[in-house]
Amino acid sequence: MKHLTAVLVATVFALATTSARAELVIEITQGMDNPTAIAVVPFAWQGSGTAPEDVAQVIDNDLARSGQFDPVGRGDMLARPSTQQEVFYRDWRAINTEYVLIGRASVTGQVQMRIEYELFDVNRQARVLSGYEEGHVNDARMLAHRVADEVYETLTGIPGAFATRLLYVSVTRNPGGKDFYRLTLSDSDGARPIVLLESREPIMAPSWSPDGKHIAYVSFETSRPAIYRQELATGARVQLTNFRGLNGAPAWSPDGNSMAMVLSKDGNPDIYLMDLRTRELTQLTRHYAIDTEPTWMPDGRSILFTSDRGGRPQIYRYDLRSGATERLTYEGSYNARARVAQDGRNLVMVHQAGGQFHIALQDLVTNRLQILTGTDLDESPSIAPNGSMVLYGTKSGDRGILAAVSVDGGVKFRLPAREGDVREPAWSPYMSR
Amino acid sequence: MLLFGKAFTRTLLANGLALAVGPFCVLAQAQEYIDLEAERAASEGRPASASGTQAAQPAQAYPVTSYGIGTSARPEQSASTAPATTVAPAPVAASGANAGQLMLQVQQLQQEVMRLNGIVEEQAHELRTLKSQSLERYLDIDRRLSLLAGGSVDEVAPLPTEGATSTGSPSAPAASVPASAPAAQPTAAQPGESAAYQAAYGLVREQKFDEAVSAFQQFLRDYPAGRFTPNAHYWLGELYLVTTPPDVEAARQSFMLLLDLYPADSKVPDALFKLGKIHYTKGNRDRAREFLDRVINEYGASNSAAVKLAQDFINDNY
Repeated sequence: MKHLTAVLVATVFALATTSARAELVIEITQGMDNPTAIAVVPFAWQGSGTAPEDVAQVIDNDLARSGQFDPVGRGDMLARPSTQQEVFYRDWRAINTEYVLIGRASVTGQVQMRIEYELFDVNRQARVLSGYEEGHVNDARMLAHRVADEVYETLTGIPGAFATRLLYVSVTRNPGGKDFYRLTLSDSDGARPIVLLESREPIMAPSWSPDGKHIAYVSFETSRPAIYRQELATGARVQLTNFRGLNGAPAWSPDGNSMAMVLSKDGNPDIYLMDLRTRELTQLTRHYAIDTEPTWMPDGRSILFTSDRGGRPQIYRYDLRSGATERLTYEGSYNARARVAQDGRNLVMVHQAGGQFHIALQDLVTNRLQILTGTDLDESPSIAPNGSMVLYGTKSGDRGILAAVSVDGGVKFRLPAREGDVREPAWSPYMSR
Repeated sequence: MLLFGKAFTRTLLANGLALAVGPFCVLAQAQEYIDLEAERAASEGRPASASGTQAAQPAQAYPVTSYGIGTSARPEQSASTAPATTVAPAPVAASGANAGQLMLQVQQLQQEVMRLNGIVEEQAHELRTLKSQSLERYLDIDRRLSLLAGGSVDEVAPLPTEGATSTGSPSAPAASVPASAPAAQPTAAQPGESAAYQAAYGLVREQKFDEAVSAFQQFLRDYPAGRFTPNAHYWLGELYLVTTPPDVEAARQSFMLLLDLYPADSKVPDALFKLGKIHYTKGNRDRAREFLDRVINEYGASNSAAVKLAQDFINDNY
């Protein structure tokens, strides 16, 4: 334990102080051609003092970040209704707004916050959505993200993924000594960052349990790599592996009962499966080539992994029932670090083209490949639970930043960190309430 | 800079350099073992010979004999108690070097197998792609034939609808004999022409595309102005697209020949459609559109199946 330089930060969310100050700052670099004009009117505050959070602004930012909406600036609004009676459609037609979202926020019993909202279609002159969200006042931003999810789903038909979280690793370079590694949890917009683990030794490969309540990661804090599992609500953690050699790339199965991982305890990196209840290990691949970066197909029946058994890194699929291995990628001489969307169809990966490393999407039905990003040295793609956006690490200048791109390549934004290099983002699944 | 490389470097570091260093570890171990044996032999005062190494061996200060380090002990050496004349660390080291050499070779072989494995994977993939493409093309022909037979004033009978799987099936054999020439056709069938055409056409049905090409070419030589000559041009055009490799330019020329020589033939709308598709695949969208528009503008009133195909194609691709 003398090597243990890591500092565990207890992460009891209910007690965490609400801080909207984001470590990541979002810059939208490319939106859709015809975004929907929507006005998110500032929500009426029905409590004492000032509102703990500008709920409407959070929703506004969420919708803008999706690239599919063009929120009306507050200065352009001719009125600021907060009830249906106060909504006059001509006010909104005059500024070419298609939808109007209004709402009210209140706090009861010191801590219980309630947000009521109503969405109006200006052209049809009708209310198309109404509802409310309730929760702890410290979770005001998360409540706002849920409202944004509802609005997004109503208007696009796709469930929203704003009320989700991100994990990422940041590195602060220390020219004089050892670098400083942090594993951070934040809201999907980068706000409310919480440092889960700090270490002088590398932290790698954060990943989520399917219920979003646990995470797994690789930490070198004992001077060699080991896989840890950590409960978010309590900060309690367990070291799952401590084998000789490599212990890496943990990937939770969709049913949450097992974890795929890379171990080299038998001499060469291969994919193993650990039963999380019994800790029993099964070796899946057995090849003198390097097999690494496992990820699950959403149906849990097969595992994709990267292997150079064909001379160059490519993506392979291992069928858990038959044990058969099949190569999936043929375009280009380098395809690695696969992640599959929940639909089981969109495969994203790091793809080398023209000497640069981009994020590419391969349709597993037609096998058509599309390069999504124009940035170079892209790494670690992670797909939003609704399959709409891909978050990935890339380089801006000499700094590592996070960036996101929609699966059709049409919408792009960047999340540069205030300091240090950021990499290996992992987008959470839908969070159970 | 390679990400995979980076990851692997980490892997290696994490792995105690087991991957790259593995062989050398084994080598070192082998060397240790050999040294140990030599020492023991020396201490026992008996000669130790690393057999199997034929290299010039420097004299040693202590007596040595073969001690079964290698696999083939040399009896004459072990028998000779003559001291000082033979062997020890150098051959021992050479044997160690051999082990290292072997490990190196194994590694090289692994690399080579991986490279070959990659090539096999890629070629298998290529084959699968080609197979499905040629099936697609065949089905396309089949579908169009069925359409033509069903609706338009065409003289060629349908293929079996499950054409792709019914290769060689004897169903509908002579039914595909053209029943009557269209009125516009001035020429009457020449002796043997019908049979030759049917024979060539039969090859198409059997998916013997390369043979069908030869047969139709021969047909055109034999009957340059026959009743089925326009059809032969048309079929050659279709066939050039499905041979391996496809000869798109030859196909284009065949269709153009049909257009130029028999502008009133009933196959012209189909040829126009095909030309549109050919130009489209070549990347010439504008030229493709001209042909497709011609199908619709000039034959829109006819009940040619090509009109619908052209319209669908435009809808899908423009």
